[in-house]
Amino acid sequence: MAGRAVDGRRGVTRATIGRAVTRALSNEPVAPGYDLIPARRLIEPAIDVWFPLRPGDRPRVASGDAVTPGSSVADRLRDPRIAEMRLRFGGRPGERWSREIAGGGGGRRTTHQEGELLFESGGRWRIAAGDAHEPLESPVTGVVRGVRPGIALSVRTSGSALRGVLALGDATRGRLEIATDADGEIRPRSLDVGSAGAILVVGARIDAEALTRARAMGIRGIVVATLPGKDRRDYLASEARQRAALHRLQSFGVLVLHGSSRRPIGSAQMRLLEKLSGAEVALVGTPPALLFDPQGVQPEPDPPGTVHIRTGPLAGRTGRWAGPAGLRSFAGTHLEAGFVRFGEDAPVALPLADLERLR
Amino acid sequence: MTGDPRAFFALDLGAATTAAALIGHVAGRWRLLGAVTFPAGVPVPAVLEVLGSRVTAADAELAAALGAAGAADRPRLTVRSTPPAALAVVAVSERSLETLGQAADRTGWRIRTASSERLDPIALTAMLLDPEVSAVLVGAGDPPGADERSSLGDLAALVAATANRRPDLTIILAGSMAGQAPRFESTAERAGEVILAPAAGAGSPPAGPLRELLERARTWPDDSRHAFARAVGTLAETLDRRVEGIELGLDGAARVHASPGHGGGAANVQTAVLSTAALVPPDPDEAMVDRALAWSTVRLDRHRMRDRLRDLRLHPWGAIPGEGARLRLTAARTAVARLVGGTPELSALPPADLLVVGGGAWAVAPGPAIALAVADVVRRPGACQLAYDHARLLAPIGAVEDVAERRSLLADLAGDLLLPLGSVVMPQGMRAGKAAGRLVVHGATASSQLDLVPGGLELVDLPPGENAVAEFEFREPVRLGTRGRHFAVDVAGGLGGLLVDLRDVPLRLPDRPDRRREVLAAWQDALWTGGEG
Repeated sequence: MAGRAVDGRRGVTRATIGRAVTRALSNEPVAPGYDLIPARRLIEPAIDVWFPLRPGDRPRVASGDAVTPGSSVADRLRDPRIAEMRLRFGGRPGERWSREIAGGGGGRRTTHQEGELLFESGGRWRIAAGDAHEPLESPVTGVVRGVRPGIALSVRTSGSALRGVLALGDATRGRLEIATDADGEIRPRSLDVGSAGAILVVGARIDAEALTRARAMGIRGIVVATLPGKDRRDYLASEARQRAALHRLQSFGVLVLHGSSRRPIGSAQMRLLEKLSGAEVALVGTPPALLFDPQGVQPEPDPPGTVHIRTGPLAGRTGRWAGPAGLRSFAGTHLEAGFVRFGEDAPVALPLADLERLR
Repeated sequence: MTGDPRAFFALDLGAATTAAALIGHVAGRWRLLGAVTFPAGVPVPAVLEVLGSRVTAADAELAAALGAAGAADRPRLTVRSTPPAALAVVAVSERSLETLGQAADRTGWRIRTASSERLDPIALTAMLLDPEVSAVLVGAGDPPGADERSSLGDLAALVAATANRRPDLTIILAGSMAGQAPRFESTAERAGEVILAPAAGAGSPPAGPLRELLERARTWPDDSRHAFARAVGTLAETLDRRVEGIELGLDGAARVHASPGHGGGAANVQTAVLSTAALVPPDPDEAMVDRALAWSTVRLDRHRMRDRLRDLRLHPWGAIPGEGARLRLTAARTAVARLVGGTPELSALPPADLLVVGGGAWAVAPGPAIALAVADVVRRPGACQLAYDHARLLAPIGAVEDVAERRSLLADLAGDLLLPLGSVVMPQGMRAGKAAGRLVVHGATASSQLDLVPGGLELVDLPPGENAVAEFEFREPVRLGTRGRHFAVDVAGGLGGLLVDLRDVPLRLPDRPDRRREVLAAWQDALWTGGEG
């Protein structure tokens, strides 16, 4: 453990955050220097989420439209190609274009062509067109804030958000299930079809094999503390191979809460996820976040003076601020530090950079 | 800065680090009273409060005289890192793209390149519509080549259509592409500018005017790297010495070479800002992982090294105790190596007398370790003094617009802001395997001597503030500024003392990873005083 004890006095237990403890600590004065700890929100209300669009994708909604989980917001164009033609009535870049081609005699069917206008040069428009589309469904409830063809559409969500640092795969939705504790790890063989349709919280880390198996089992998403770079790359390669095949994949997303090197899910995040267990939640990629209905699951606010350890050997733990420790040497490196008390133990000095406040 | 203050704060707000210094007017000149460095994210008022209280604790009388306590109403000189932005560089042909890309490369932008020769219009449009792209540099040969003429209009139409869909996008038309300007609407609701720029090869030095324009288009008015370059120029004028500055941060790095002007005139300053030389780029590639592994004394496989670099990017100040600080210095070494490798035109200039390093990347390393890290990757035969802008004052001083005021401030503060790391003497051309000669260091009170062993790194204790003459006698001619066998070099002391660097130029490390780690550890361990290794 980094740092050292200030004195040998024993204090009262502070790590257990029950209602009685919360009430008791709320009245305790906070040691000075608490504002030196960077603060961020644990839960963000009503964020804007973005669904990236590529040239040729067909938006199905307009600004101001209400969306609900499962409603189609756009059709993604598979294998777009360039079509060139003169347009009688002109157009503007980004606008949709379509035409019907009569089938001629003999009762042949007319064909429908459509696409997105890209640019006009030499009197001819270049159009992003194609035949096969895949629907993009909204995993969230909210209101469409803006639609920019070829760029993105944004939705102001009506729920709250727990942010992560990285998301892979698709936006998705499912019932949240806690599969391991905060420091746990799930093996591929532990996954079964009983979790189909669920979003699993799988603890400290997961490997590519378990991710691939999870998708094959019909699991809709994974929430994990860390995802090593190798597993991220292996999983993305596997997903790309699947997508190259012409069948449509069901949505599957991965939300990484903290980073790449193994560590447990932070205690504050885990408490929230436990409260959400059994509830319908959504995972989105831009920004990487888990979205949920806050009704009835709002966690008690941290008692004043609470600090969360975000990096270092104690990452994931929660303690109580015991005052600034000034500039301290940690293994030969001088860092601004603060004292943190864990439970009944004497305070230890930790680098300020390893701490955060969650509002 | 306003009015006639007796004390003011200098703030450098980086992507990862907030540095604050308190400057006071004491005994007729400006002095550095105190400085603190915190991770970005700590509120600035809290940082200033700590700084004010520490100055008061150190000298309550002086603090009271200067009114150092109470941060809110103190004047501030503030600079900040301009957040990184992506520039899409597009051209008709691969040939033109290469020239344009090279011009844009050292201007601090994150570059994405594509030509209509290689990429289809859908992919090209998607690239320009990506919300991360904030400007487009579009060009062709000047005059356009025969193979380019037919496609020039198509590319201009594509970019104009994209500009129509993204009014926030800045469009820079270089060289012959400027003739396509009428295609670009310039309406009141369009926030992004349409700029006509010189061709990539125009000007002296070639591409100079285009680079200058691209830098201006990227940075905010209070950009710290721009201000750092200006301060290095003023430092060269003030000290009347050739000064090189290396500033390294989370999102980019700057290399500045400044030579004093003739007769007290303005310094000749050349600058390059590279986003690719950031401490850790957003997605470290294989080459970066390889370089980090090559410099690391910590045994890690490449996957774990990539993970550690990614986490360093997410939390630059996280998990510093233990291996974290060394990993960060390893990343700093690789970043400086990329910076030096990416700026050959600055390496070709006459060597600097003083090399100043600055930026948040160095904030967690001891001074002597910084000196060695720089000597490891800036390999130029000769003698050079090293200093560290420990309070990150150069950039705030560079933000002072008035030249005379900036010079006067820097003349007062140069001694306080430059923390001497020591001197490096780096001969080239020694034969391996036998004693190469002898060194006698004549200090103020005593002399010391040592044998010169090729491939070795000798540390001579020479404290900050002390000067000495290092007398080298080589058995065979070597290159040390000039070619010869006998040299007497004036050296200045520092935290790392005198580093006599007899290693290869350029440096060659053992191929076997375990042997390489041993060698690196042997060089570095002595300089991490109090570390655990």
